[in-house]
Amino acid sequence: MMRHHVPIFHTFFRAMERMPESLIAIMDALPYLLQGSIVTLIVVVGAMALGFALGVPLAVGQVYGHPALRRFIAVYVWFFRGIPLLVFLFLFYFGLCTAFDINLSAFTVAIIVLGLISSAYQSQIFRGAILSLPEGQLKAARALGMSDFKAISFIILPQALRLSIPGWSNEYSILLKDSAVTYALGVAEIMARAHFVATRTYQHLPLYFTAGVIFLVLTWVGTKALRLLEEKARIPGYSPHGL
Amino acid sequence: MTEGLLYIQTEVYPALLKGFWVSLQLIAPSALCGLAIGIMVGVLRIYGNRPVMAAANTFVAIFRGIPLVVQLFIWYFGLPHIGIYLSPFLASVLGFSLCSGAYHSEYIRGALLSIKRGQMLAAQSLGFSKVRMIFSIILPQALRRALPGCGNEIIYLIKYSSLAYMITCIELTGQGKILASNSFKYTEVFLMIGVCYLVMTSVASIILGRVEGRLRIPGFEQQRT
Amino acid sequence: MTAPILRIENISKRYGKKDVLKGASLDVNEGDLKILIGPSGAGKSTLLQCINFLVKPDEGRIWLDEQEVHYANKRDLYAYRQKVGMIFQDFNLFDHLTALENVRIGMVRVKGMGKAEAGERAVMELERVGLKEHMQKYPAQLSGGQKQRVSIARALAMDPKVMLLDEPTSALDPELIGEVHAVIRDLGNNGMTMIMATHQIGFASSLASEIVFMEDGRILERGTPDKIFNHAENARTREFCSKITELYGERG
Repeated sequence: MMRHHVPIFHTFFRAMERMPESLIAIMDALPYLLQGSIVTLIVVVGAMALGFALGVPLAVGQVYGHPALRRFIAVYVWFFRGIPLLVFLFLFYFGLCTAFDINLSAFTVAIIVLGLISSAYQSQIFRGAILSLPEGQLKAARALGMSDFKAISFIILPQALRLSIPGWSNEYSILLKDSAVTYALGVAEIMARAHFVATRTYQHLPLYFTAGVIFLVLTWVGTKALRLLEEKARIPGYSPHGL
Repeated sequence: MTEGLLYIQTEVYPALLKGFWVSLQLIAPSALCGLAIGIMVGVLRIYGNRPVMAAANTFVAIFRGIPLVVQLFIWYFGLPHIGIYLSPFLASVLGFSLCSGAYHSEYIRGALLSIKRGQMLAAQSLGFSKVRMIFSIILPQALRRALPGCGNEIIYLIKYSSLAYMITCIELTGQGKILASNSFKYTEVFLMIGVCYLVMTSVASIILGRVEGRLRIPGFEQQRT
Repeated sequence: MTAPILRIENISKRYGKKDVLKGASLDVNEGDLKILIGPSGAGKSTLLQCINFLVKPDEGRIWLDEQEVHYANKRDLYAYRQKVGMIFQDFNLFDHLTALENVRIGMVRVKGMGKAEAGERAVMELERVGLKEHMQKYPAQLSGGQKQRVSIARALAMDPKVMLLDEPTSALDPELIGEVHAVIRDLGNNGMTMIMATHQIGFASSLASEIVFMEDGRILERGTPDKIFNHAENARTREFCSKITELYGERG
């Protein structure tokens, strides 16, 4: 429960009082925080790439594969979507790494874990896109004599991946926010640095606000970039089937 | 082997149970408050006047755009800066409610948009006031449509309740960390914790599916895009 | 008498409890134009899709040029499909590719031709169906009739021995049917062997070497257009034809 009864005006004045020192603290810390945003971006991009590299084969396997394979992938997706990120991070970094005596940095573990979880979500995005294509596309490809591998590579995936870009944009903003959790492993991203400076300068509130703003900016920039990608990849007159 | 089992019984089990209980205490109020906030904000975003709509949209943009971790840190470590001190538990519930409220409002808003204008016109011609119309006619239908989205958000809440650990509120994950640090059995403990969450999310999914099935009205389904 | 270019024997297909095809057999000589007619659900489409094994028949054998097709062997199957072209009711053009790329892709990815060489051939085929000026357009920018003509060009680019046409004009607006018929007639005059399922009786009877009437998964009767429409042996055939001519008017 609240420890003090705090009248509204008192709070407001306290905040205004500490404004100048707050601003100085933010200015001082900004370069350090921005360096953290590079770490954040590398983690996010790495995780998205890993999620993509695994997600596409998982999606293809789930749509076109053997029933046993489909069941396995369904379990994989259920597993990685059902357990919190923080638990996975601890499990991998403290648990599996020591159990198998692998020496990986927190940074690497962060990318791997975020990537595996993202692959589960991305696979469902791609799967939805593949399933939304008309049956006839695959039929026509087969009728020409294409093997299933060629048909999927040259006809199905180019269309499905284009349709997936909005979902991917969503995944980016989710990963960006999840990257802040990796602070728990000591990854030197934005949150970690903000907290580090805050404990030394006692400027918690202004610094976390600043961190928040940086995240907002990164989200906005990334989403804009992906929208550009969507424009570039657009086929004239092409609209998603069924919509 | 029996030593291991004994360990589980006397140390692990009660600790995890304590943590699980705290998790539940975090999840339940957050889910309810979040949903309430979501409905209110969603309604304001559609039916409010210009400034109210803008304020609501800004609220959502901020709370969906900033990582939950940052939000939690602001409530727990940041507020003392202006003299407000919240317990870890309260800060967590506040953070979860506001954040999930923003997400819920998205689904509510989408559902409200999908209700045909004709419903509104019919209600108005019957003499309903705007407020009455929203609560008696539109919202009951919209809530059914928003159910899958909101239900999913609650499942997400179950998972991100683990973040309370980061502002020192010791729930299931926190208990696990303590346990594992003492015993060095990281893999086993966190696997067990993972399974606990898996069970929670799976049960929640099943319940969600059942509720969706119960509330289904024939012919009412929105076109799945 | 020369051997038939395509021989189909005893094709059967069951979906669950329903027998969609019951022992259909057909001999096709080079240059023939066989037209499949019959009510909806007769199995015409299924039969065509069984011929190029898009649908795997439960029973039956197929020979192309005297060689039996062993569709279980993937490489044989792909090679066979290159020689049997298919035109779909819904066109099924690849939406992410231009008309030119649509025609070219089979040559490049299946036959392994170089892009430049394949490109030249593709332009030729598009010219043949009268669509050279539209070659950079995407399917979404083409009319139905144009789409179907591109799909014919795409099939022709593979140098097929037989063409299967599954109700090629059923999805078209009436004023666009003519342009597709013109292309098909042209193909027939140049000696392409074709099996076509259609409801367009007038067009069919003017071109066909043989009409094949199907109902309920079976081939009930076959013969020249004159025989089927005027002196059909089977009562069901007569019944169907009289209804059709009422509906569609002109014959021959």
